[in-house]
Amino acid sequence: MGDQSTQSSILEVKSVRKTYKLGRVKVPVLHGVDLTVHHKEWITILGASGSGKSTLMHLIGGLDRPDRYPEDPASIVYGDRVITSLGAKALDRYRSTEVGFVFQFYHLLPELDVLGNVCIGAMIRHGRWGYVSNRRSVEKRAKELLERFGLSERIKHRPAELSGGERQRVAIARALINEPAMLLADEPTGNLDLKTGESILEVLAELQRDSGLTMVMVTHDERIAARADRVIRLLDGRVQEQTAPQSV
Amino acid sequence: MIVYTRSVYQALLTKKYLTSKLMPILAMLAVMLSVATILITWSVMGGFLKTLVNSGRSLIGDVTVSWPNVGFAHYDELIGMLEEDELVEGATPIIETFGLIQLPDDRIELITIKGIDVQSYNRVTNYEDTIWWKPIDEPTAKDKDASDVRLEPDYTQAMEMFRSNAMTLTRRNPESGITEQAGVLGVEVTGLNVRTHDGIYDPRSFGFRALPDGGVERVPGFMPAGGSVGLTVLSLDSTGKPVDPVTRTIPIANEFQSGIYEIDTSTIFVPLDVMQEMLRLDEARKVEVVENPFATEIDPETGQRRPKRSEVIGIDPARVTTVLVKAKEGANLQQVRDRVYAIYQLFEDKHKGEVPSSFSMDNQIRTWEEMNATMINAVKKETGLVLFIFGIVSFTSVFLVLAIFWSMVSEKTKDIGILRALGASTPGVAWLWIRYGTAIGLIGATVGTAVGIAVVRNINGIHDWLGETFNLVIWDPRTYYFIEIPHEVEIPKAVIVFVVGVLTCVLGSLIPAFRSARMDPVKALRFE
Repeated sequence: MGDQSTQSSILEVKSVRKTYKLGRVKVPVLHGVDLTVHHKEWITILGASGSGKSTLMHLIGGLDRPDRYPEDPASIVYGDRVITSLGAKALDRYRSTEVGFVFQFYHLLPELDVLGNVCIGAMIRHGRWGYVSNRRSVEKRAKELLERFGLSERIKHRPAELSGGERQRVAIARALINEPAMLLADEPTGNLDLKTGESILEVLAELQRDSGLTMVMVTHDERIAARADRVIRLLDGRVQEQTAPQSV
Repeated sequence: MIVYTRSVYQALLTKKYLTSKLMPILAMLAVMLSVATILITWSVMGGFLKTLVNSGRSLIGDVTVSWPNVGFAHYDELIGMLEEDELVEGATPIIETFGLIQLPDDRIELITIKGIDVQSYNRVTNYEDTIWWKPIDEPTAKDKDASDVRLEPDYTQAMEMFRSNAMTLTRRNPESGITEQAGVLGVEVTGLNVRTHDGIYDPRSFGFRALPDGGVERVPGFMPAGGSVGLTVLSLDSTGKPVDPVTRTIPIANEFQSGIYEIDTSTIFVPLDVMQEMLRLDEARKVEVVENPFATEIDPETGQRRPKRSEVIGIDPARVTTVLVKAKEGANLQQVRDRVYAIYQLFEDKHKGEVPSSFSMDNQIRTWEEMNATMINAVKKETGLVLFIFGIVSFTSVFLVLAIFWSMVSEKTKDIGILRALGASTPGVAWLWIRYGTAIGLIGATVGTAVGIAVVRNINGIHDWLGETFNLVIWDPRTYYFIEIPHEVEIPKAVIVFVVGVLTCVLGSLIPAFRSARMDPVKALRFE
């Protein structure tokens, strides 16, 4: 569990709406979501398939932008930065420095080995000269993370040579390489068997607890949601309720 | 300082994409083939043009001063004035005219006759190099089995004599023992020299001449050893009016090969004074014509009355139709031409009324390039056309690269989404693909240029191998006049082809790069 004493917010989501266009048809996904995430908190966004939970995570992560309604403007504020108002360059910087993504299908780059996949986030963050000067420390951190996740023997392996659980641990190491303050995990165990999923959850819980990481996890599994500090239940694009895990 | 574009990740992914996929290798192959094809074509065509031009230039000097048919007088003085100039290496008088040639088999053909002063002509042109029958030490490039008769030690003395004859334009008459003035014939004129696929000439030992009674008579096949031709020209008086045809038998001292088929099939060199005499361009006495045919006068020697004779009132100097000028090494030809014209103006001032006006001569003083403009331009246009066609064919590699990249961007859609999620910027993602295209272009163009240069440098060896292995002969010296396929790799051309090859790839990668940059990262991540 996260440190409940730290109650200052790291993220505030207000009136966020999102509509997708499928050809000529407009499909509203989020209908005005309000949400606050505190420092070092682990929240779980729980919802059925199509409820808009992944969309919300993408918006929080700066991968997408909410709809614009001048009469009720949406805003996502991270720390003192209004994410919804950031330019493309600042948004790129936000994604590379402040948040780390973990996806259901791992999304590793198949041509790179494990070490390359973990380091690529740092390469993007630091640029050519920055990476050259930080290379040693970046690789040291990558190896530490991989060792921590039991992958120190696999650093030269390609993703295709790894099991699902190993791939997801590599993806978690990649998300953490730039020491983000917030981890965004989209169904991180959704593609794993129960036992492997459990081990991944253990890894994430330990990280959140030990590193004081703020974690936003998307899941449809109430059992997983029960491990979070707080559960945001999303139904048809709206926050239905925010509850403590005991009541889930 | 944080840099968001041109990052290490682009270099790493470019390297990985290049080495782990078949498609970039195909793209590189396409670029390589295009670059090599263009370079080989350009080099061979360029070499062909250069060889052709050099061959054409070999017998015409750098600048010509020409007044056709009737010619101009005092040419020795003009040559003296020209040779005093710092831009002029030397000058020589020639007479160039057309006539009829009667060949050993009694065929009569039109021929270009050049009356030359062989010593000065050899200084101004490459005349000696063009003489065919002479001893040689090494077989020519295609003569693999050294079957050239000129290599035969038994014939060395004879060949030396033929060369000497060509350099003096004389031949000793074996019957009378008298040394006669002789001509040097283009090696293709008689048709008695058979050009082999080794690029050498195999002279027939004899030819045939049809007789009026229906029989045939053997005639000498090897012209320098006893062959003669009949030359007929139409002489003109100093005003250009035809006087009468003049025919003369000319022994053949040797044969020449300039490398230009047109010249070698229809040209004969004869001594300058022979042509001056035949065309009545030699020095002549000017006489006062006696208008009354019955007029008489007293012979001062006998004191007796005799029909009145014409009175000599002056000398009409010898004339030539052309003066060839050789420029000093490295001199600008147009500058030399202008200088020659200026000298001619001075020359005209000295001989007002006796030589063509400098106004008329303005178009008759020309550089060798101007003289051969038609031929050079034809080959240049041909080269341009071939390059244009190959260029269009090679331009398809742009679309090939585009298609390959389009397909790769589609295949790598998820990777683009991942990179964007990790903070890669849109220019950074676009740059990844442009960089990738540039890498393919650089590798393909480098290999293509190297292959092109290697092929061009060894094109004759490759051609020989194709001939020996597959019986595939594209360049037959019997058809093409140069023994070997002309070729020349010019560094500026190679650089142009290389740069265009790289740009082609960059161009082909631009649209897929912009497509990847515009990709919605969320859609990219969800792409299946």
